Amino acid sequence: MQTEEAIIHKLAEKFSILKDKLYVQRSKRIISEFLTREEFEQVLPYLRDKMGFYRASHVVGTDEGEDLGFIYLLTNDEGIILALKEKAPKSDPKISSLSGDYPSLEFHERELVSLFGAEVEGLPAGPSYPLPDGWPEGNYPLRKEWNPEYFDQNTMTYNPPIDDKEKEGGKK
Amino acid sequence: MSEYNRVVIPIGPQHPSLKEPGCFTVTLDGEKIVDVVVGIGYNHRGLEKACESRNYIQIIYLLERICGICSHTHTTAFCQGVEELAGISIPRRAAYIRVIVAEIERLHSHLLWLGVAAHEIGFDTMFMYAWRDREAVLDILAAVGGNRVNYGINTIGGVRRDIDDSLRQDILKMTDALQEQVKYYQELALTETTLAARLAGIGKLSGEDALKYGAVGPVIRASGIDFDIRAVDPYAVYAEIPFKVITDTHADVFGRTVVRILELLESIEIIRFCIKNMPDGDIVTKAPRRIPAGEVISRTEAPRGEDIHYIRSNGTERPDRVRVRAPSEANWHAMRHMLLGQYLADAPITIAAIDPCFSCTDRAIVINSGRETELMDWPRLRQYSIDWYKKRGIDVASIKIPERRMYF
Repeated sequence: MQTEEAIIHKLAEKFSILKDKLYVQRSKRIISEFLTREEFEQVLPYLRDKMGFYRASHVVGTDEGEDLGFIYLLTNDEGIILALKEKAPKSDPKISSLSGDYPSLEFHERELVSLFGAEVEGLPAGPSYPLPDGWPEGNYPLRKEWNPEYFDQNTMTYNPPIDDKEKEGGKK
Repeated sequence: MSEYNRVVIPIGPQHPSLKEPGCFTVTLDGEKIVDVVVGIGYNHRGLEKACESRNYIQIIYLLERICGICSHTHTTAFCQGVEELAGISIPRRAAYIRVIVAEIERLHSHLLWLGVAAHEIGFDTMFMYAWRDREAVLDILAAVGGNRVNYGINTIGGVRRDIDDSLRQDILKMTDALQEQVKYYQELALTETTLAARLAGIGKLSGEDALKYGAVGPVIRASGIDFDIRAVDPYAVYAEIPFKVITDTHADVFGRTVVRILELLESIEIIRFCIKNMPDGDIVTKAPRRIPAGEVISRTEAPRGEDIHYIRSNGTERPDRVRVRAPSEANWHAMRHMLLGQYLADAPITIAAIDPCFSCTDRAIVINSGRETELMDWPRLRQYSIDWYKKRGIDVASIKIPERRMYF
């Protein structure tokens, strides 16, 4: 059985980019700082294949201002959750789909597309989830700038005041 | 069979096997399922966005309404996450009460499932037995929290209601009566050949696939994997309660039935232990309104499996981000795999066997802001519904009801 500290030590030894970027939040919880897409994709296969984090419980989308955040909750057989974070700029929100290696992430990745406007490359074709049919394109409700008060449910249109429109709130 | 002879059937979205919305587009080759598209999301109404504009106390009531069946588990996951962010420990008595209510909730949820599953396979006698027994559990929940669902027990820093001696005795009486019934269901499940014949081999999911597709709760435990958050990552006072993690190796709907029935017996023992060992003392400790900045991943073992709440605070009275990964949301990924190669007739019970909660999946919520709060008794509620239809052009009083036909 590996302790949380031993896992961090081993990862930091293997990947210099992870030095000081992982911490034990509490027992059974390891949380990382945000990594770039390249860094994330470098670390993930090792975590999955060599460190026993072969299960994925979830991916949480977050709004990080100019960027979108993606927090992958990976678990091992000891029940330790390692929250590995990746971020991508809102102007080019591309990430790779992990649903090939972690089929348990497919619906959650569809959520990232619908609710945050992420572009998940390699996500298999399938129905959008969870927004309804006819949801207007370019509206991503979980981005901070998207205000539900401006959304008209009857016409399914987003009508921000002129000032907000100029800021292109919530739209690509 | 030629590909052109294949038939595509949409099962749902109106009530596919359960009284909740989901759509399963099934492609058939004869009677066998060769492809499935799982369509969910019909209940999504923006709960996470709503959390960002409410304070932590308001959110408890919001999250309690994610699900009418496992409401307590969601508030437990949320409250313990916020308590961790605030750096406060709840009184031990409060932790015991959280566990007692959680296990009574598990009894209610598993009995509900047992009834639904029995109904799906045409075993309506068992459906009525299970739901009759569930009534006794709901009566206890109503006595504990004042409501049959959404008991309003949890708050940040502990619980809102105590369990006094008289109520403790009532709970013990209920568990005694229920234990006898559950033992009967156990015997029935293990010896009634028609039940086994109908459920065995249906919705197969190996342990390896259960892990791969991220299954949780009784679904993964019925595939032989002893994954239970109460044991893997104990919260409240589970670390000091002796209990068994129930597993089964049938890896099918029959196994899921056995696991849930045995878990009922285990929950009864946990409740008895807590009633006997709960300490005296306070039930709540003071918690700050502003929660220090940080992030937390809180999880509980809901009746349907692992419930994860991700909470990020920013030092204010409102969180920056709340994300709920309910257990049903995890179990959908394995559904396509479980249905492929099955007969169409087995689809309803296979879907029902994960005990899906579509509201949990989609985290539904309806908020009517700006309306005065009103407590309605039964006659007032009835009148409200009549008026509601009248406003929409339907006068219920004018509908002619045909004379009742007598069959015997």
